[in-house]
Amino acid sequence: MTADPIAAGAPVLHAQDVTMVFGGLVALNKVSLTLEQGQVAGLIGPNGAGKTTFFNCLTGLYTPTSGRVLLNGARLAGDPAKVTIAGVARTFQNIRLFPNMTVLENVLVGRHSRMKQDPVSTLLRLPAFHRGERAAKERARELLAFVGLTRAEDEVARNLPYGDQRRLEIARALATDPSVLLLDEPTAGMNPQETEATRQLILRIRETGVSVVVIEHDIKFIFGLCDKVSVLVQGELLVEGTPEVVRADPRVIEAYLGKPPEEIEADARTAAEEHDKGEQA
Amino acid sequence: MTTTTATVRSRPRITLAPTLAKPLAAAGGVLAVIAALLPWTTFVLFDNDEVNPSLQYFDAPFALSGYRLHTMLLGLAVLVVAFVPRIPGRARAQRALGFGIAAIGLISLIFLSYNGGGVGTVTAADGDAAFGAVVALVAGVLVVLSAIAAGITDIPDFPTRLPRLAAYGALVLAFAAILFLVAETLTAGGRSGVSNPYAGPTFLAFLGMAGGVLGALSGVGVVRWISALSERHRAFSIIILVLCALSLPLTSAGNAYWMTVATTIGVYAATAIGLNVVVGLAGLLDLGYVAFMGVGAFVAANLSGAATSKLGIELPFPVAALIAAILAGIVGAIVGSPTLRVRGDYLAIVTLAFGEIFTRSAQNDIGGLTGGSNAIPRIPDVELGGTAFNEEIQVGGLELPGGVLYYFMIVLVVGAVMAVFANLKNSRAGRAWIAIREDEDAARAMGIRTGKAKIMAFLVGATLAGLAGAIFAHKLTIASFDSFKFLESVTLLAAVILGGMGTIPGAVLGASLLFVLPEKLREFDDYRLLLFGLALILIMRFRPQGLVPDRVRRAELAGETATGKSIDEEEALVVEQEHDGPTGKKGGTA
Repeated sequence: MTADPIAAGAPVLHAQDVTMVFGGLVALNKVSLTLEQGQVAGLIGPNGAGKTTFFNCLTGLYTPTSGRVLLNGARLAGDPAKVTIAGVARTFQNIRLFPNMTVLENVLVGRHSRMKQDPVSTLLRLPAFHRGERAAKERARELLAFVGLTRAEDEVARNLPYGDQRRLEIARALATDPSVLLLDEPTAGMNPQETEATRQLILRIRETGVSVVVIEHDIKFIFGLCDKVSVLVQGELLVEGTPEVVRADPRVIEAYLGKPPEEIEADARTAAEEHDKGEQA
Repeated sequence: MTTTTATVRSRPRITLAPTLAKPLAAAGGVLAVIAALLPWTTFVLFDNDEVNPSLQYFDAPFALSGYRLHTMLLGLAVLVVAFVPRIPGRARAQRALGFGIAAIGLISLIFLSYNGGGVGTVTAADGDAAFGAVVALVAGVLVVLSAIAAGITDIPDFPTRLPRLAAYGALVLAFAAILFLVAETLTAGGRSGVSNPYAGPTFLAFLGMAGGVLGALSGVGVVRWISALSERHRAFSIIILVLCALSLPLTSAGNAYWMTVATTIGVYAATAIGLNVVVGLAGLLDLGYVAFMGVGAFVAANLSGAATSKLGIELPFPVAALIAAILAGIVGAIVGSPTLRVRGDYLAIVTLAFGEIFTRSAQNDIGGLTGGSNAIPRIPDVELGGTAFNEEIQVGGLELPGGVLYYFMIVLVVGAVMAVFANLKNSRAGRAWIAIREDEDAARAMGIRTGKAKIMAFLVGATLAGLAGAIFAHKLTIASFDSFKFLESVTLLAAVILGGMGTIPGAVLGASLLFVLPEKLREFDDYRLLLFGLALILIMRFRPQGLVPDRVRRAELAGETATGKSIDEEEALVVEQEHDGPTGKKGGTA
């Protein structure tokens, strides 16, 4: 990692009025997001709010119907490969590793756009080829150490435990040397310890100067991690601000949280009990 | 976690008491030896029968030859393996030997009773009894049962850090053994034809024997050890392997006929490796691949001054071959471009259609360049310093058979193609192809320009096929649309899958088998494709990962992980870790 924690301030990613319409359905309506260097932004919202659609617009998988996405002031192309080359990396909601490649090979694929290899030195195994491979492997091993997977280097990705697969996906995304990292539900299905480890990992990523956007359902996780939080509801940006502001905003409480977080669980319990009673009756 | 004792891996459906293992093996081994000495037919099947000239071998045990000799040797091997103490992976070895014996028995049983006009041929008829084949089959089954009783264990690992000289010695011996095996396999049963009714079954029985011995060696860990050694001393291995391949003309396979067969195998092996780039690495199913070989063949034919060529150009062979390869590559890139839009099954249909278009066009002499159904005959021999490649040559006192120069050329070309494949596979481009095969969307998200990469895969594969096609045309001295039909594409694809997707030895072995088998089974005429299909089904049923699987495919289909540990072991490891909790504290989860 380029360990140079740059002071936050310069805007890195800027999504301007991104609108996505599928047929008659407006999945996103003029959603904007500004991300400054070294910031961790959270994106929350109920299921179907358009969070992943927004990610897909950012990464070029979808081309927004209107609006634009700027990275360091330059407009991003509507092609996932080009977006990654420009410096936006992502992980997937449902893990999408290269299951039959080893852990190290997975990360090396991430280095693809950052290494040069000409056919002649590849076919003849000239020194230039070995230099490039060595450098790529060195960087990949660094990243594996960073996420704590050094020991699993030669394992086949599909055989890794679930939590390690998530971490490998992050290492693979970091291998593309991104300036912005998009994490789609990085703690889905994790136990509390693993979730905490992921939080630490994201904080360490931020320290290296990479800006991060996180989609997550775990509100406690988002509030404990992010510098700013955006709330998406039915394709519209409802509120944006620091966790404190978002937590206190009556519209969020009304539209999304309903009640303060600590009361939700109590509520849920009551509801469940009532449901049980109803069934018994 | 290190296991000091080998753990029992698979639980077979049949369970036998482990105490039965030794008696069963002993019985099977003794029966196999007896079977070799018993008569196998109740009457002499053919005139001038050289394989079964006498019905009785008890009086002349040293006169054994052919499959009876193999049966006896396998039987003795079973006894040795059963009674030598502390053989690692014993059950695996026994199982392989048992299958070998059973295969010889079964093949002979079917062939002899079919040709003798009934089961009486191999049991009892006209007052004569001949139970050799039956006894061999029973012996094989007993040995397999003994292996099941003993319980199949993991393949043992041997140390690969050896003194350099010892390692080199082991590798030379191993490759010499492979050369011997290849020569014997090629010539086993002799040249197929009317005068030699035993060619087919003898060859198949030989395959059974060779498979049994190789399986046994792999079971005790020798094959894995040798491949680990050769991986460690890669450069040395490649040199020795090429030298061994070049000395094939000095073995029993050293005559013009076997040289032609070996050259043809080489051509298809090179093509199969090219197809392996497209299918094995990039995962693009190509059903019209042989068309690229056809492009190479026709281009080379037209540029080399064949009598009926309309171009009337005569270029030296290397130039013609180079142009053929490049043009085939360009065609490959053009055909590959629709792959940007279609995936999976649809891609297979597109390539299938392309293959058909090529064959039909060549058949109808489109552009007057393919000779239509007359083909392009009389393509001149490749010449080097006034020596035509089909002539016999003399080096010092050594007489080499005709066609040996073509054989040398194809050995070098296959070597080069192997190097291209291996060097591409372990590079930025190769990883990109594999990533596309694994998950195209994720590959794009990693910054891989998938369209470009796929076209590159088609281009490389087609170039290799075009080069092979150019040699093919010159060796056969004719380029005909007939050689580049759909069936050839399918057979090549089968060679790649059968041998093991994504590996070089797999593609070579697959191509060898698929193009030798029909040659050897020639006298079964009508049945040979049936037998051929049956063999394919059997192999895919019992070894779905292919004969020489990729490390990862092996993991996927054979219940092993890439590190060679069994899944059970790995699971135990995972459970152990989970139990310890991520921080290493016992019962860490609250």
